[in-house]
Amino acid sequence: MLKKGWAYEERTRKTYTERVESMSDIIKGKVRAFIVENFLFGKDDNLNDDTSFLDEGIIDSTGILELVSFIEEEFSISVEDEDLVPENLDSINNAVAYVDKKM
Amino acid sequence: MRRLQTRPRLCQKCILPETFPGIKFDEEGICNYCRREASAVAKAPTRKAAYRQRLDELIKSIEGKAPTYDAVMAFSGGKDSSYTLKLLKERYQLRILALTFDNHFVSPASLGNIRKVADCLKIDHISFRPPWPTVKSIFVKTAREDIFPGPTLLRASAICTACIGLVKSLSLKTALEQSIPLVAFGWSPGQAPIQSAIMKTNPAMTLQNQSALKKAFPSAVRHDLDQYFIPNTYYETHEKRFPHNIHPLAFFDYNEENIMHELSDMNWQCPSDTDTNSTNCLLNAFANQCHLRRHGFHPYVWEIANMVRHGLIGRHEGIEKIYREQDEIMVEYAKERLGLRGKDTKDIHGAR
Repeated sequence: MLKKGWAYEERTRKTYTERVESMSDIIKGKVRAFIVENFLFGKDDNLNDDTSFLDEGIIDSTGILELVSFIEEEFSISVEDEDLVPENLDSINNAVAYVDKKM
Repeated sequence: MRRLQTRPRLCQKCILPETFPGIKFDEEGICNYCRREASAVAKAPTRKAAYRQRLDELIKSIEGKAPTYDAVMAFSGGKDSSYTLKLLKERYQLRILALTFDNHFVSPASLGNIRKVADCLKIDHISFRPPWPTVKSIFVKTAREDIFPGPTLLRASAICTACIGLVKSLSLKTALEQSIPLVAFGWSPGQAPIQSAIMKTNPAMTLQNQSALKKAFPSAVRHDLDQYFIPNTYYETHEKRFPHNIHPLAFFDYNEENIMHELSDMNWQCPSDTDTNSTNCLLNAFANQCHLRRHGFHPYVWEIANMVRHGLIGRHEGIEKIYREQDEIMVEYAKERLGLRGKDTKDIHGAR
């Protein structure tokens, strides 16, 4: 009985972890598609998940607001002025972590 | 009259050419960018109203609080920045400091317009003019090579990107030094979407942005430009002074005919010595030509296509602006001044 319960718990936990991972993957996919379509005009050759948008000239500080607007609409979250910092928005991974945190 | 170039295939709705990166046409000849932007076009009236209200509220929140000026305006003397200045002064009665970055290629007619508009609106005006050798070295470098990352050059030429980078930086620096809460720009509605029209700047984002811009310049030039960027100490000492950037033309009514009419009331006159996409700069035709030959599409085409898509200018007018040959006299004038005639021409027009 105990063993069965443990297995059930493990299975549930795993499913939860998987769910979180798959949610992150979905967010990542959407953010990437937005960046590629809107700022790279379909060319994503050098865009890694950690590529800095600002350093690589993909987005400038004005363009960051386009990303913000997309994030707000797509994920129904509100991005405050004080959140407009590179660690939240300057790469795909940063944006995904930020959205994850806010959701 | 200059003739239209031999044109590539264009989108039937906007004016993007088949040479534009990532473009695809559907069976109706309409490009994927028009299809993608359809929802943004539909949402534009609601968004514009919301942003007008946001600006009203922002201005109300700063009213009477700034020690000297409410706004510093990047003022080229061209039609869009002149009109923005008028709008901000007359609608909001802001105390504005107009700042012109004199890149040594400002049309004489535009210098006259700058004085007329500033006087008519009773606005203080300052001009910032870096020495010719510094400016020349930047423009020669950017005429010869694309020093900025590829994505940047999808929306502007290398020459313009360098110049605008300095304009943005100097405007922000002035705002920080004088505790001015707003930095205003006269970007056209096609240059940046409504969602980016009001932005609170902050030290972290600015620092990274400036570092990226500085890094793009060759080290020999970078040293000469240091004083135009935000000093590192400001990110701490002026931390609380970081202003809002605004570009109101993204969300106010934009009609070139009305704008010209309103400007003529101030005796603003359209220069006859600039190209079809500028009403102030004598370098623009050459900058456009360098970009066209290197990339195969006009550096203004994204901006003008956006305006056509949003119905802000007609498609035919957009085609006139983009697909007319660059005026050879203007191009030669810029090349001559930059010392790029003769053997250097081959470098500038390097293969794509």
